[in-house]
Amino acid sequence: MPESTPNQPPLVRMSGITKRFGQVTVLRDVQFECRAGEVHVLAGENGAGKSTLIKILAGIHTDFEGRLEIDGREAHPRNPLQACALGVAVIHQELSLIGAMSVADNIFLGRTATRAGFVRAGEQQQSARRCVAQLGLDIDVRQAVEDFPAAIQQLIEIAKALSQDARVIVMDEPTSALNAPEAAKLFALIQSLKARGCAIVYITHKMEEIERIADRITVLRDGRWIGSAPAAELPAPKLIQWMVGRELGEQFPRRVPHPGRERLRLENFSVFPSGFSGRPSVTQISLSARAGEVVGIGGLQGSGASEFFLGLFGAYGSRTSGVVQLDGRSARFSSPRKAIASGVALLTNDRKATGLVLSMSVTANATLAGLRELSPCGWRNPARERAVAREITSPMRLRAPSLDAEAGTLSGGNQQKVALSKSLQTRPRLLLLDEPTRGIDVGAKREIYQLVDEWTAQGIAILLITSEMPELLTLSDRVVVLHRGRITAELSRSQATPGAVLAAAMGQVAKSL
Amino acid sequence: MHKQSIQILSVGFAFLAGLLAGCNRSNSDAAQANAARRYTIGMSQCNLGEPWRVQMNEDIRTAAAQHPELNVIFKDAQNDTLKQRSHIEELVSAKADLILISPKEAQPLTEPVARAMEAGIPVIVLDRALLGDKYTCFIGADNKKIGKAAGQWIVKKLGGKGRVVELMGLMTSIPGQDRHNGFREGIAGSGIEVIFEADMKWLEPEARKEMESALSRFDRIDLVYAHNDPGAHGAYLAAKAAGRENIVFVGIDALPQEGVAYVQQGILDATFRYPTGGAEAIDTALKILKGETVPKKIVLGTRLFDKSTVAGGGAAMP
Amino acid sequence: MNAASPAPPPPAWKIFLASAGGRALLALLLVMAAGAVFNADGAFFKIGTHRDTLRQASVYGMLACGMTLVIISGGIDLAVGSVVALTAVCAAKMAVHWNWPAWEVVPASLVIGAACGMVSGLITAAWRVQPFIATLAMMVFARGLAKYASGGMKVSTAVQNADGSYRYVDVPALFRGIDHRILGGNLSMVTVIFIICLALAWVALSRHRWGRYLYAIGGNEEAARLSGVPVIGAKACAYAASGLFAAVAGLCQAAQEQQGDPEAGAGYELVAIAMVVIGGTSLMGGRGGMGLTLLGVLTIGYLDKILSINAVPEAGRLVLTGVIIVAAVMTQRRNRK
Repeated sequence: MPESTPNQPPLVRMSGITKRFGQVTVLRDVQFECRAGEVHVLAGENGAGKSTLIKILAGIHTDFEGRLEIDGREAHPRNPLQACALGVAVIHQELSLIGAMSVADNIFLGRTATRAGFVRAGEQQQSARRCVAQLGLDIDVRQAVEDFPAAIQQLIEIAKALSQDARVIVMDEPTSALNAPEAAKLFALIQSLKARGCAIVYITHKMEEIERIADRITVLRDGRWIGSAPAAELPAPKLIQWMVGRELGEQFPRRVPHPGRERLRLENFSVFPSGFSGRPSVTQISLSARAGEVVGIGGLQGSGASEFFLGLFGAYGSRTSGVVQLDGRSARFSSPRKAIASGVALLTNDRKATGLVLSMSVTANATLAGLRELSPCGWRNPARERAVAREITSPMRLRAPSLDAEAGTLSGGNQQKVALSKSLQTRPRLLLLDEPTRGIDVGAKREIYQLVDEWTAQGIAILLITSEMPELLTLSDRVVVLHRGRITAELSRSQATPGAVLAAAMGQVAKSL
Repeated sequence: MHKQSIQILSVGFAFLAGLLAGCNRSNSDAAQANAARRYTIGMSQCNLGEPWRVQMNEDIRTAAAQHPELNVIFKDAQNDTLKQRSHIEELVSAKADLILISPKEAQPLTEPVARAMEAGIPVIVLDRALLGDKYTCFIGADNKKIGKAAGQWIVKKLGGKGRVVELMGLMTSIPGQDRHNGFREGIAGSGIEVIFEADMKWLEPEARKEMESALSRFDRIDLVYAHNDPGAHGAYLAAKAAGRENIVFVGIDALPQEGVAYVQQGILDATFRYPTGGAEAIDTALKILKGETVPKKIVLGTRLFDKSTVAGGGAAMP
Repeated sequence: MNAASPAPPPPAWKIFLASAGGRALLALLLVMAAGAVFNADGAFFKIGTHRDTLRQASVYGMLACGMTLVIISGGIDLAVGSVVALTAVCAAKMAVHWNWPAWEVVPASLVIGAACGMVSGLITAAWRVQPFIATLAMMVFARGLAKYASGGMKVSTAVQNADGSYRYVDVPALFRGIDHRILGGNLSMVTVIFIICLALAWVALSRHRWGRYLYAIGGNEEAARLSGVPVIGAKACAYAASGLFAAVAGLCQAAQEQQGDPEAGAGYELVAIAMVVIGGTSLMGGRGGMGLTLLGVLTIGYLDKILSINAVPEAGRLVLTGVIIVAAVMTQRRNRK
């Protein structure tokens, strides 16, 4: 790897960066440097603050404390366009392309070549063609972006960033939709950018990528800067320890396991959200869960865990394959209705978008999934519904003005409790919890953990997704780790250490598999 | 599921297409049989939403049926001026022998008609006039005269004085304004007092609603003059429901199954025919095709249908 | 949160006024007050005027009942006006020309309306076509069917014989039964029919699980789906119900005109939507109810009547009605953060 001249100031220097969103501090006194001609990997768990730091660099978050220097001069971009003018190009994780517009128009969005206000389409198209050719793409730049598959779209997004002739290029998980040869093309391009003297900030969860292209690595944890070092000094085990090592101060008491008969059995289960011709979110999952057991599903963003739950729950209809058995009976559901009727319940990871109907009352939300049972011949019984709602929310210790209050007026934590109540109200045999304590304070978390204990004592089998490592390790009897849709590790209670889980989540397949 | 629905859809479409093709085929068969006829007349109607225009086409059809050498092709512009323009252009390129047109608007259709005339095709304009004089003949009725005739009849009926409710058609349209102005002219100088007037937009439910308001406001109403028969009918139903049967009802249009029927059933006391001119159009067309000269403008008279004249097919008015 | 003494709860009347029902009631009372002031020589205070106001608003009100269900589920139904025409034409043909008895005419008409609604509902729910487009297509289709079934002319008591002359048949008992007054001439039958429609819709919405499903779908369709709500079926039934109420309206329209007019109902869908919206049901879906719609029906009905008895010229009516609709909706906007 080419050395950069040590006397030059780093192309990007961020120091003392602190960013707050309301009461929550997301970044605390973070420092970061990136030199010209180097690939600097920014590593950390979910929620460590990497995306926020990048957004500050990209001019998306303009309200922060600390100092940002680009090319030796202090900079304070007020919007992405200004950041672009300063020489910073960002390839976002969520694609920023406009589907209905052509490839050429997208690449030059905001910098459209014009003459007296009229777009110089021919010129633009030629430049666009050159840009995408750099990535080995041979496509018609006049076609609309949405006509291309996700992988090509990601390459177009990359081409867009590269076309800006920036000196600092930030890539946030750029290979999430790419296959191996496409990713290889990208890495080759990164090498040529390095040779040109660009600084590349690279965010990824994949250990194999870090090992392949990183020159230096900076680790963030819980919004704080942990350390920066050349890649040679940071082999995988040490890197993981940096990412994960925390004083487990909040020691929640570990669960008492109550394992019973096998409740759920999956063999080669795959989920295809966009149809069988598209990419599967999870492939060939085989696992089993017993009654009264909590199986934790570990994985970082992009692992496919949430889609796995949705597929199990029937939310993708019949776009799943493989064998699913619930208490010995075949259970590949084609709709959430059927899943609920068979005793499966799902708590989604986004209560506002997919969990609750915020315009309805607490009672209405809590009784929604089980309404069919509660209303024989279709006629509702408001008194019975209220009684059921009271019964199901009291163990949650819900704090709401009344059960008739609109769910949208409750605090986030209380909303989460209502969503949990809805899942439990149908008396499920299998409970799928996706981030059950998102947005809940510490005291309430304890209450939820106790409830999980009670639920398993009642014989419910639980699959649990959580991005908080302590929670995963406290609650799970076993941990199954996913990476890019496949199981990379199955860890027993004793084997499940933070390091082992994170290593598997980043792609290092456990030797036992 | 999706595949099945596509299959069902395609079968449905195929069926529909076959049906339409079948229809077209039978039309062209008829056209071939008609090829033996000598003259082709193209008729462009601005819309077939109004029953009156449906009646006009009916009248033309009935009159043409008497003359087997005539083949009339009907086109419906669905109230779209641009469609009507293309009707004219189509008829010109198809080399029709004569064009009948009941235009939607004067301005946009004057030019195409002039060009048809230049191509040597005579054009008869019905009901609504065009600008200028580049057409062969205009046949239409005079709403102002009809309104005045109605006013005069009302003066006679009420013995020179009385309280009248006027239910107006869309006052942004020429017929509405003409029937209003003509009526006011007809009652000028008499003791007839218009105590309530409202725009019922030619619609029966609106007329009924306005009449209910008038009934609740005025204890004595002698007569209701509505700009069209549906309006008069709506007013009648309102009065009947209120038990105020001794009101005289007068309408305009006198379609056989509507206004005339109402008079025969005793619902209306009088209605004035707004003639469609369909029969006159065919007569004039025949004359033109035979090479005779025809007057530039033929103003159709109206006919009064009231209790005494309805059996005899109405009384012609000057 | 500090433990300082909490603020006293606001007085009950303030809470009521802040609610959607309170504001709709306020709008209605303001309109009534305007009527009392501009009472057209006392005409506003006569019982007959109120009976007539209710009569003329009833057909729109029936449409508003179905429209409320559809809007709460997050959709819209533009086809109801055309369905009114279609059922008016079919009912007139059946009752007047073919002499069918009432117990055959009524169910047949209801089936026609419900079928039209169900088709729009399935197109929008199962094939995921936007409700605006699906019901716009039905609007055109049903209007075309109405014109086709009627031959372009009104289906009236004047029946044409083979030789071209006309014979006059009696107005069928069904029509006379619908268009007459009861309670000593102080209440129109169509108003009673409207109240029945309103009551049925109210019961379904507030007491049946289908009603709860509609609120959930309109509030957050994906959350509803993931909670096991049968989204497609519930939505399709909402549109079928809208078509059913439009059929009832069509029967009443035919009875009140004593004929089936294929041009009837033009623009009625917009009046129905205005009534629902002024009542306070949100066009976004998930909120609202029949009580609010009743207030909206009365508000627009009385406004129309007051303009009518005062013989306000047409241009003025249009301007005033438009201004009042906008004002009513603006005062209803909830103060969200």
